[in-house]
Amino acid sequence: MEVADCRTIARGDLNAWVTRLLGRAEVIAPVRGQGGDEVFASIAAPEEVLWSFRNPLLPPKHLLLPQTDTLAEFRRVDGHYQVQEPPPPRPKILLNARSCDAVGLAFLAEMHAQDLTDAAVLRRAEALTVVSLACHQPCPLGFCVCCDAGPFLEHDFDLQLTDLGDRFHAEPGTPKGQALLDLAPDLFQVADAAAAEQRFALEQQALASFGKETCHFGAAMRRISTRRVAEDLWEKMSPWCLECGGCNHACPTCYCFSVADRTENGCTTRCRMWDSCQYAEFTLEASGHNPRPKRADRMKRRFYHKVSAQYFQRDGRVGCVGCGRCVQVCMGTTDMPAVVGAIRRGNWVSGRPA
Amino acid sequence: MLSPAIDVATGPGWLENPYQPHLARIVRIYRMVPDNWVFTLRFLDEEIGRNFRQQPGTFVMLSIPGAGEAPISISSSPTRPGTLELCVRRVGRVTDALYRLQSNDLVGVRGPYGNGFPVEVMHGNDLLLVAGGLGMAPLRSLLWYALDRREHFGQVTLMYGAKNPASMLFREELVSLVDRTDINCLLTVDSDPGGTWKNHVGLLPKLFDRARIDPRTTYAAVCGPPIVYKFVLERLLPLGFSKDRILMSLERRMKCGVGKCGHCSIGYKYTCLHGPIFTYWDAINLPEMV
Repeated sequence: MEVADCRTIARGDLNAWVTRLLGRAEVIAPVRGQGGDEVFASIAAPEEVLWSFRNPLLPPKHLLLPQTDTLAEFRRVDGHYQVQEPPPPRPKILLNARSCDAVGLAFLAEMHAQDLTDAAVLRRAEALTVVSLACHQPCPLGFCVCCDAGPFLEHDFDLQLTDLGDRFHAEPGTPKGQALLDLAPDLFQVADAAAAEQRFALEQQALASFGKETCHFGAAMRRISTRRVAEDLWEKMSPWCLECGGCNHACPTCYCFSVADRTENGCTTRCRMWDSCQYAEFTLEASGHNPRPKRADRMKRRFYHKVSAQYFQRDGRVGCVGCGRCVQVCMGTTDMPAVVGAIRRGNWVSGRPA
Repeated sequence: MLSPAIDVATGPGWLENPYQPHLARIVRIYRMVPDNWVFTLRFLDEEIGRNFRQQPGTFVMLSIPGAGEAPISISSSPTRPGTLELCVRRVGRVTDALYRLQSNDLVGVRGPYGNGFPVEVMHGNDLLLVAGGLGMAPLRSLLWYALDRREHFGQVTLMYGAKNPASMLFREELVSLVDRTDINCLLTVDSDPGGTWKNHVGLLPKLFDRARIDPRTTYAAVCGPPIVYKFVLERLLPLGFSKDRILMSLERRMKCGVGKCGHCSIGYKYTCLHGPIFTYWDAINLPEMV
């Protein structure tokens, strides 16, 4: 980001800007759901967008990895199969993603570009513009500061907004983000020194207000990567896991999937669906052999994948963005900070004070 | 550590949808052993068949629309291109659907996936192939590769053990190799209820008493159920085999074949990408491998 590229926009002009975004692409933003909670959804009018909100329970990872995603379609015609590819993705703009979710999306895009590329995900990432909204305050369960995923970002966003009160500070990170500013040159002013200073002060204040609720990966990573986590520690923790898969489904960086065929009206659709490495059947082979028969094995797998140095080397970051969603959804308290803390201390204190 | 066989720049259309199967026709079904049949496939699009870069030890994702996809190792050798031979055991949903198909029916195939045996590295060395049960399916590809490119290898030894003669895979073909002088083909069965078996009777590791193997110049390729690895390693290691000269085929449940779905992971390696062929060195150094 060059300081000269930064812009500010008056709070009153935001709706006019969002209207122009809507004219260009589908806009997904946090909105008030029917149950009163916050969710990421497609908007029809700029008034629906929430500018101050609690981070939705489900991350916007479905924009890259839909919960059910068509891989191919087979239609039977005269004893022959027609194989059809799913249509190319349409351009989308994700507005007001929190920093952690922007990093999660960048993680997924990078991961699917490795080795044998997954063109479907990469095309979606190419068509998606991420507008992140920096956080002034740590959220109650968040520990993004430990994962280089917030509260303010230096990378992994297309356009970063900061709420300065009566106006918003906007810094483009990529040409895609710059294009959104260029849509409304009349609404954006070049950011003055006061705006830059205020943004910097807010970042310092946000960093300073992280409390004890942090997750120290270093020690846990060393132990997991060198196999120095006591086997009985996993055994002690595993009864607290209910194998619900909630941590995986709510995680912005979990990407494992399963594939199944569905046939309707002579057309077979091959879909991939979110899967969870905590399910016993995840590794169950047709012969009946299961390489990870015990729950402890599967928990070990999950944290090895997220925290080990081997995966850190591959991905360049830990498989966690510190959003705190696993803390929120886990009924058994085997969430990321709790397990990382247990590995660091070497003992498991069951349960978390309510 | 074997290098993953990833050729992103020149692979056939990797920037296209990697999950899109190519249609292939079943041209022959050889009902070899009950519930272990060999299906010979030919791609409808000849161009795809020509560009199909299999190596011994690689596998394909075989799909039956409506039933799903399953990873199946290739039993035919790349030295005999044109068709693919898959030796399939009837064990699950997809293979069950496959067994209900007939010659001339269509299936979907994508691949080849996996690293395969490092044949270029093995050139100029002796070969020892050790297979137990269904482990012959992937090793047959390497066997015919070695026999078709015989000048590239020194002494070639095959040890194959089955429960009884009736359950021996590729029996006629392998028995016909016993008299050949360019391969030491040792076949054994655990028991011979019919009393007509002219080869060895006894457990697979006993065949090591019948072969002279120089561990310094030999690559050993082992494939079979877990118990085979255990007992074969007990024979190979005392011979003085170095750990990177023992190649093992290890498979896991798979969904994607391209290192994304997470099902086949062993530690930080993916069986579909970095395997299915691992050296024994890899096996003892990867967490949760053995």
